[in-house]
Amino acid sequence: MPELRLPDRFRDLEPVAAVWALPTEAERHALRLASTIAELRGFYDQIFSRIEDMLAYLSEFAVANLTPEGHHLMHLAFALAEIAPAVELYGQPEVPDGYDSRRFLPVLGQ
Amino acid sequence: MGSNGHTNGSSNGKTQRSTWHSQYPELGTAPVPIEPYISPEFFELERDRVFKRAWLCLGREERIPHPGDFFIKDLAIGKTSVLVVRSEDGRVHAFHNACSHRSNKVEWQAKGSCAAFTCPFHGWSYRLDGRLLAVPDEKSFFNLDKAKLGLTPIAVDTWQGFIFINLNPEQKLREYLGEWADALEGYPFAANGATCYEWSTELRCNWKLLRDAFKEAYHVAFLHRRSARDSYTGRENPFSHALYFKLFPLHQRWSLPANPAYQPSPLEAIAYKYASFVLKSDFTREAPKGVNPAGAPNWVLDINAVFPNYTIDMLENGYFTYNFWPLAVDRTLWEVKVYFGQPANAAERFSQEHARVTYRDLIMEDGSTMEQTQSVLASGAKTHFNLQDEELLLRHDNKILAEYMDVANGKSKARRKGSERHARASAA
Repeated sequence: MPELRLPDRFRDLEPVAAVWALPTEAERHALRLASTIAELRGFYDQIFSRIEDMLAYLSEFAVANLTPEGHHLMHLAFALAEIAPAVELYGQPEVPDGYDSRRFLPVLGQ
Repeated sequence: MGSNGHTNGSSNGKTQRSTWHSQYPELGTAPVPIEPYISPEFFELERDRVFKRAWLCLGREERIPHPGDFFIKDLAIGKTSVLVVRSEDGRVHAFHNACSHRSNKVEWQAKGSCAAFTCPFHGWSYRLDGRLLAVPDEKSFFNLDKAKLGLTPIAVDTWQGFIFINLNPEQKLREYLGEWADALEGYPFAANGATCYEWSTELRCNWKLLRDAFKEAYHVAFLHRRSARDSYTGRENPFSHALYFKLFPLHQRWSLPANPAYQPSPLEAIAYKYASFVLKSDFTREAPKGVNPAGAPNWVLDINAVFPNYTIDMLENGYFTYNFWPLAVDRTLWEVKVYFGQPANAAERFSQEHARVTYRDLIMEDGSTMEQTQSVLASGAKTHFNLQDEELLLRHDNKILAEYMDVANGKSKARRKGSERHARASAA
């Protein structure tokens, strides 16, 4: 698979996007569960400071009209949404005392 | 049945002097028996007298927008597999997914699109409307009457774009939904449901435990203390008291307030700039009167429950649904679907993503209780649930379930037990 790029003004985020900008909820959630809370906080701090600019960019496009770079940026933003509850609410990767989310399976293409 | 639950214009609909239960005295206030949650015999009665007679929702018509589009619902509680398909004339059909030859499942894919169904076993094929199309080596059969060998139909109908099936209908769908449906008609279910995200999981619990978990907000301040507590509770309403309850003969409507002092989390506040999932003040004025039925300025969520196993939970910009599918007395399939409108742009799509994964985490908190409860229910340590006023819907659900089962089969053992239970409840 060719290396995915980000839109020009977000090029500096390409290394973190290479790890986090995964295309599906299942992949993003699996990475959240496989990370430490320190790793999640590091990612959160790096992307949270840029999310408003990222959304300003994304607000210019319908999803269907995004370039491959724009799609990659959207997936990076989705990864922030995925891990935000862990950082902002729970203080750990998994929901404390929660149902095992590995058993809560996304049904694709409904 | 009962009266309008909206008693005044205050931030929650219950006054200091009245209770919700006082508006529905036929429910009584007695503790509710646990036995129906653990009894294999009761489960078999539920199968025959409830799930084989009631209208059951299988989701939205948008699942099958075009002729030839189909999906399969394996319905363990009906001991069958249901094939739902849109035919060339645009009608929605439902069939038992069983071939007329030797009853093999005709369609094995969970969903798809086709011009005709062909059984993988011996190649018998069927039109989209269920008629038998072709039989390979037909000449070797004996007096086949192909006109009588179509797929076996199941009653199917739609309401506001929701597909319902019924294995043994006694009344039409709209009659079954009754007055409950009137006040929701006209809500933009299709536009607000243009995109759907779905999860499913199999829980080791009775289906009613799962149902009950989403029929009261008493737990919010405790189970959701790390997440949703502050958006639903607050100094004015520490136990998330409801705005409104209305009980229909089979169905229910329940409305919850937001905490006006709620401070969103940092990312939530940013996500809300592109799509809010809490009330915009102009929304409910345009909505059907069943949405925010109390007309409360701090409204956030309505729970609309369809007997026996479906809920439609409506927010401002979307809705989510639960199906609680019994598999066995202590096993349940939980299907969760989140519906949003088509996002205008990729930033709004982000807001939807943020809302749905935050919500997914929230219901993981809910999901932890069911198996924990089931694992001790059968011990006999407790024989009854002790319900408070805000747990009105649990009491109503158990009552209508028992009544619905009784109606089916006359003076059965279950009927007598149910009547005794009602007598006890009424005496309390």
